[in-house]
Amino acid sequence: MTDKISRRDLLKMIGVSAVAAGVAAAPLVKVFARPAGQDAVTLRFQENADDYAAVVAAFNELFPNVTIEFVNVTGVDHAEIASKILAQLAAGTPVNIGYAATEATQLYAGEGLAMSLTERALADSAEMADYFADVSPTLIEGMMYEGDLYQLPRDFNAAHIYFNKSLLEEAGIEVPGEEWTKDDFLAIAQATTGIGPDSDSFGYGWTNRLWGSWTPWFFVNNTNLLTEERAPGGEAIWSTFYADQPLAEGRGGGWRWPAPQANNPDMVEALEFVVGLTDAGLTPQVEIGGGDRLQGFFVSNKLAMTIAGGFWAGSLNNAGMEPGSFEVQYFPAWKSQRHQFGTGGAWILNGGGGEDAAWEFLKFNSRVETMLMIPWMANASTTPVRRSMNTAEYWGQTGMENWHVFYDALDQRPDTAPIPAPVFSIEMTNIYTRFTSLATSGEMTPQAALDGMQAELEALYARN
Amino acid sequence: MVSKTATQPPQRNIIRRWLAADTLSGIKRQRAILGYLFLLPTIIGLVVFIVGPMIGSLALSLYKWNVFRPPEFIGLDNFERLFSDARILVGYRNTAILVVMTVSLLEVLAFTLAMLVHKISNRFLSTFFRTAYFLPVLLSGAATAVTLGYLFHYDFGVINYYLGMIGIEKIKWLISSDVVLIAIALTTVWRNLGFTFIIYLGGIASLPTEVLEAAEVDGARGLQRITRIILPLLSPTILFASVTDIIKMLQFFDEPFIMTRGGPGDSSRTVVMMMYESGFGNLEFGYASAIALSLFIVILGVTGVQFYLSKRWVFYR
Amino acid sequence: MTSSNVMSAPVGRTSSRRGFAWYQKQFGRTVSMAFLIFMAMLTLMPFLWVVSTSLRSPAQSFNLPPQWIPVDMDFSNYARVFEEIPFWQQMGNSFFITLAVVFGQLATASLAGYAFARLKFPGRNILFWVVLATMMIPGQATIIPVFIVISRVLGLTDTLGALIYPGLATAFGTFLLRQYFMGIPDDFEEAALVEGANQWQIFRKIYFPLASPGMAILAVLTFNAKWNDYFTPLIFMSTKERFPITLGIVDLQGYMATGSISVVLAGIVLSTIPVIIIYVLGQRYLVEGLMMGGVKG
Repeated sequence: MTDKISRRDLLKMIGVSAVAAGVAAAPLVKVFARPAGQDAVTLRFQENADDYAAVVAAFNELFPNVTIEFVNVTGVDHAEIASKILAQLAAGTPVNIGYAATEATQLYAGEGLAMSLTERALADSAEMADYFADVSPTLIEGMMYEGDLYQLPRDFNAAHIYFNKSLLEEAGIEVPGEEWTKDDFLAIAQATTGIGPDSDSFGYGWTNRLWGSWTPWFFVNNTNLLTEERAPGGEAIWSTFYADQPLAEGRGGGWRWPAPQANNPDMVEALEFVVGLTDAGLTPQVEIGGGDRLQGFFVSNKLAMTIAGGFWAGSLNNAGMEPGSFEVQYFPAWKSQRHQFGTGGAWILNGGGGEDAAWEFLKFNSRVETMLMIPWMANASTTPVRRSMNTAEYWGQTGMENWHVFYDALDQRPDTAPIPAPVFSIEMTNIYTRFTSLATSGEMTPQAALDGMQAELEALYARN
Repeated sequence: MVSKTATQPPQRNIIRRWLAADTLSGIKRQRAILGYLFLLPTIIGLVVFIVGPMIGSLALSLYKWNVFRPPEFIGLDNFERLFSDARILVGYRNTAILVVMTVSLLEVLAFTLAMLVHKISNRFLSTFFRTAYFLPVLLSGAATAVTLGYLFHYDFGVINYYLGMIGIEKIKWLISSDVVLIAIALTTVWRNLGFTFIIYLGGIASLPTEVLEAAEVDGARGLQRITRIILPLLSPTILFASVTDIIKMLQFFDEPFIMTRGGPGDSSRTVVMMMYESGFGNLEFGYASAIALSLFIVILGVTGVQFYLSKRWVFYR
Repeated sequence: MTSSNVMSAPVGRTSSRRGFAWYQKQFGRTVSMAFLIFMAMLTLMPFLWVVSTSLRSPAQSFNLPPQWIPVDMDFSNYARVFEEIPFWQQMGNSFFITLAVVFGQLATASLAGYAFARLKFPGRNILFWVVLATMMIPGQATIIPVFIVISRVLGLTDTLGALIYPGLATAFGTFLLRQYFMGIPDDFEEAALVEGANQWQIFRKIYFPLASPGMAILAVLTFNAKWNDYFTPLIFMSTKERFPITLGIVDLQGYMATGSISVVLAGIVLSTIPVIIIYVLGQRYLVEGLMMGGVKG
């Protein structure tokens, strides 16, 4: 019973657990869809059980042999949700059907996690013709990568400006028309600051993130954080489903963002404009994160304008704003009026088993009736990708007159494009928001902040 | 014993006698075996859920692994990168500042409050204060961050409002690199005060009253009483409280993550945040493990120093 | 607790009993009371804000000056909480997990703490250092290997067990109780040995009860930590019905964080109430424990 013995025991214990941990740490993509019996398949589906209960029940009437297990992943933003999904993958229990937004599309596709849907879509083209006819090619292109389609978009959101009508009325301003400019915007922001029931309103507010922060501003200033080009390929999709559509011309196999250009003069100009709004006292403190705080201010009549997509409409109603007390419009024009959007859809795990059943589920979900079974789709808390769903009735719940801008951002504006989101978009977003925060807090000039951002983005590209 | 054991098999007999021996070595053996037995559940739990995974992480730090591709052995590259990474240094700097600010404020405040509350003879009042101070501890880190994030808001926050009423200009609590660490420190102190307070309360309550009374009769009063008598007697408690608090704060994550996401820039980014971001954000699990390892060593070092110094000032009865 | 008279009237100065020293003492008491009340206000203020804002509609939430006492109580936010999440089930989960861990930790930590404090065995110091060292490992560092252990090795993902088993052993609790056990003099053991008690009885009948203040503290702190744990359930649990309540509250934020703030705050209030109740109840035992813990001569 000497010290030596117990130390030896301790080391043995350590050795054993090290081996165990080492073995367990090797990532093995097993077959996770468990086929039990002849045709029965179980699929792990990344979604909220409550929202999809009706959908799954209806699906099971057609396909009783498929069991859907829900994996409810929560997060503040899409990047965070992607991180959680990856954590599950790292630990060996990934989902069979995931849901990803633009922020993660190329991540899953580029790393081989998501399965290409092109062949299946073409094989079932008769069945899918209705869906593709109803969905703008802009969205489809946004879910393609290097020539193949990886997701079927379900909903999307382009960045528009929302107006708090009571503040506008108090300032004696009308909701502007479609062609309004950045100068009109500035005038409205100035006129609506410092009014309201407590005389402490702000004209314009925004959140520091990737989608809808100052991104729409550099889009309308006709530039981008990264250079853009279209990947080749995708002809099969375009010719099969969009043969006669002018909007589908010139489209390729998905977006590529080959190099960073964070500090080009137009980018600097856009950032200077936005930071200038804070300096002029027109914007409350800018924070990183989701938009819940902004919504609170908007609803309490302390914020006149902010950026949001279709997803705000329904939730403003939920938060207690009367239909008709808020309105929406296209983003104001600057050197252009190019809009940015993000879209989301389901993807199928590569090599996870049960792909056929998963594909049936995806097709089932692309139908209008199915989409309407999802509560928050039905109550206008997002923008459906299907044109036929974007009707006066659907949006009428919100009381907005300009609801057509949501889908028209795609149909009427061929230059609308997705937010820049290459394979390493999570890391890119961190760099983007970090330097943006230094500029908005006034600790770095926009030029210096963007120079710093560019340097780190270049290093990021070099590492990948 | 002879009659009972006559029917038992010989081996058990020997063992039982060995264990039950009234000799000194018998007791020693009892204690030793009991010691190991008592420790078993804890050791098993810690090995399976902490030591083992830590070693797994250690192994991981020698690899480059981004989840999608198989891990690639790169030896000490992660550590080389760690040492030349300016941002990690900033993370350590921030963590150090936060730890110093938070822990010093915590220990002083908690001790003072515990001393004062201890003296209250009114049952109702003392329960009231005890509950009031402990209440923030009951909130989750996320809830605290959300709430105080609102209160510290530059434009619409309650704190700036009241500061304005007494003539102080609005402070950019969460949006200025100069002040953000103070805001987070205050949030953390608010949330953790009750915890440390209870520890000190327990410690003060178990101070031997006869020693205190004897000291008073001898004329010790006020500050002398505190520094010469109470603090030394309380030293095991102080050691415990400060070691625990420092270790906790070095691992700081929830509040800065939720309140500022590390901003503006990197000014409120702690080391654990950076580790989390490299791993779960940038998918560089090898590098993240290297960061975790460096933090572990730092914590080990700091605690080791504390214990070493404690030999000088801690006094066990 | 020393009587106040002893302090203000040192032997030999009876004539100044009501003099300067007395007034000084009264002033001291007033100042300390004021300080205590001020600190209490500071700690309670955010709570008041949460409660009062949760009773207001979102449109009113940010009005300044804040209405500390809401004029029109809008309880609909609370009703919304019940609509949006399976509140009672998640509460049940939280209770089950937390109580299991608390009792588990009391058991393992008292045994281990006693062993380190009072039992001599080879390798004791090294083992204690190892145990202590585990406290310094950031939880986030081990989360992926732990997930692997739980999911692949033990097959417990998405069960309550995933949140319970890792929490049963505690370095912190062991450390805490070790300090408590070390603070209890050896005399008791010597007396018991003379009476012929064996080690186990010494532990169970004498030292274990004497350390009850330490255990009360451990119980309260562990309850609180486990109840509020957010990060681990986030990783391990996938089905809403198995979430503990802290995770359920985050659900209230909705898709892309567009849930109403007042509802989220209402959720926070609701999920904190049980913990507060437990604390208020356990507080009495804490006090008695603290009183008993003082070793009388």
